[in-house]
Amino acid sequence: MKSSRVSNIDSYRDPRFSGWSKAGAESINMIPTPMAMQPTAYIRNSRADMPHGQVSSLSVASVHDGETLAIYLSWQGVSPEGGDFPDSVAVAMPVKGNPMLVLMGAKDAPLHILHWKAGKGVKSMQAAGIGLSDPGPRVKISSEAKTEGDRWHVVLTRAMGKGADIAPVFPGAAQKVGFAVWTGANDERAGLKAFSIDWVPFDVEA
Amino acid sequence: MSKRQIAMVMDLNKCLGCHTCSIACKTLWTRREGMQHMWWNTVNTQPGSGTPHGYEDMGGGFREGEAQKGYRPSEDDFGKAWDFNYDEVFHGGKEDAFLQANYGEWNNGENWKGPNWDEDIGGGEYPNSYYFYLPRICNHCTHPACLEACPRKAIEKREEDGIVLINEERCSGYRFCQEACPYKKIYFNETLGKSQKCIFCFPRIDEGVTTACSRQCPGRLRFVGYLDDPDGPIYKLVHEHKVALPLHSEYGTQPNVYYVPPISSPKFDEDGNPTDESRIPLDYLEYLFGPTVKDVLDKIESERVKVRNGGESELMDLLIARKWLDLFGPFTKHPRDVVTASPVRMVGHVEDNNPAGVQMWDAGAQS
Repeated sequence: MKSSRVSNIDSYRDPRFSGWSKAGAESINMIPTPMAMQPTAYIRNSRADMPHGQVSSLSVASVHDGETLAIYLSWQGVSPEGGDFPDSVAVAMPVKGNPMLVLMGAKDAPLHILHWKAGKGVKSMQAAGIGLSDPGPRVKISSEAKTEGDRWHVVLTRAMGKGADIAPVFPGAAQKVGFAVWTGANDERAGLKAFSIDWVPFDVEA
Repeated sequence: MSKRQIAMVMDLNKCLGCHTCSIACKTLWTRREGMQHMWWNTVNTQPGSGTPHGYEDMGGGFREGEAQKGYRPSEDDFGKAWDFNYDEVFHGGKEDAFLQANYGEWNNGENWKGPNWDEDIGGGEYPNSYYFYLPRICNHCTHPACLEACPRKAIEKREEDGIVLINEERCSGYRFCQEACPYKKIYFNETLGKSQKCIFCFPRIDEGVTTACSRQCPGRLRFVGYLDDPDGPIYKLVHEHKVALPLHSEYGTQPNVYYVPPISSPKFDEDGNPTDESRIPLDYLEYLFGPTVKDVLDKIESERVKVRNGGESELMDLLIARKWLDLFGPFTKHPRDVVTASPVRMVGHVEDNNPAGVQMWDAGAQS
């Protein structure tokens, strides 16, 4: 997928901005994370007959203005308010090396993740393996989210550039990106989610 | 497996249901924000549904070594604390106002459970009605279902004494621990987004001071010590005299809180004369404490008879605990003597006005 250059990112912070409809959203296929990869026997046993990760498609578009990257994410499935866990979406990129998305990175090849939760906003996270995610590097980030019927529309932004634990994003450079969606009403949290199987090539327009 | 295991024995024949233990714990540990519904120590009337309401039917634990699915209790299941109309009664100017709580018929039928909803109801029919009290804390299990369920490895079992602790730095509030714990002794702090539970007063234990619940207990029913200390009360009661049994050992977690089961009063016959039959049904005690409970009750009874007949009994001396500090094994220090000398570090959030990042023990809340 491609992040197109625009003159100014500000209008794109609003997920309802008409510009997003021209940004060439791609539909990303999502599947449930494999049960065998869940890190504890309790989770594997207790969720065996309770399917997770049922969001099968995530619509993604991206633009940037050379300083700020914006990613638009939209999917079907808005949970009723008041549950124990929020609807949630995450965008991951490798910081360095060649980590596997399904393994959530490795010690020498960590992931930098923007994790948005309904009602809580977005956080910078990092992960070096399954069950090994932690608060991530300080980087300028923001989020705006709207619901439209049963559909979420979320825009996440982050400052472009790189840092010790910040995934590099530069105009004209290729990156790769992975996605995950949690449905709160289905008690999804931690590794119980839908994910994009593998990295999606992410070309940032010069 | 930790090198040593600290444990507690509670003699249910001595529990008077005064809740001093619960208040000691509440005062010391669960006064912060998001902890209003937390009672890391509870005392429930048996038979009863316990805390949280109906916990014995909420699943979790292990069966034949396999982790079992469990229910995640809500604040309502634990029973929210009631508010009372103090202002109306004391300052409202109405002579006929009376004290009432915001539950049941005064609150549209909501919030009726309260934190100890079935206190003193018990079982049986008059004159053979019966009840006893069952205090509970986290069992600091040898095979902790909570620890094994956590995908973040946020729960640790201390190597030196087997105390099970939630590392709030690592906890992400996923609450699998709440589901997996069959005793439902883990609470969720909505304000912090973290799970919290009894810490066996580890900052006190580290300083040689016993837990607040045991030290404050007026009934002297809580013994504390190491399971493998042959000179301590725990080893003697659990391994030597074999009169202390775990609660619901079938849950498969190898709990480290043990109970001396309650000796029942006799049933009365139709003429009001005592019979040989026990008023607390044996099958109920077996449900709680397992199939050997009858042997334990017989042993205690025979030791009682021995003493009544002028004999000596190490077991009875132990259970009576004439010397208060004998209850606490190596943890006999007074909190007053250690707090000022050695401020205690707590796992928890950092106060803004505390640049060292350490929350100090509240010395005003000594228990």
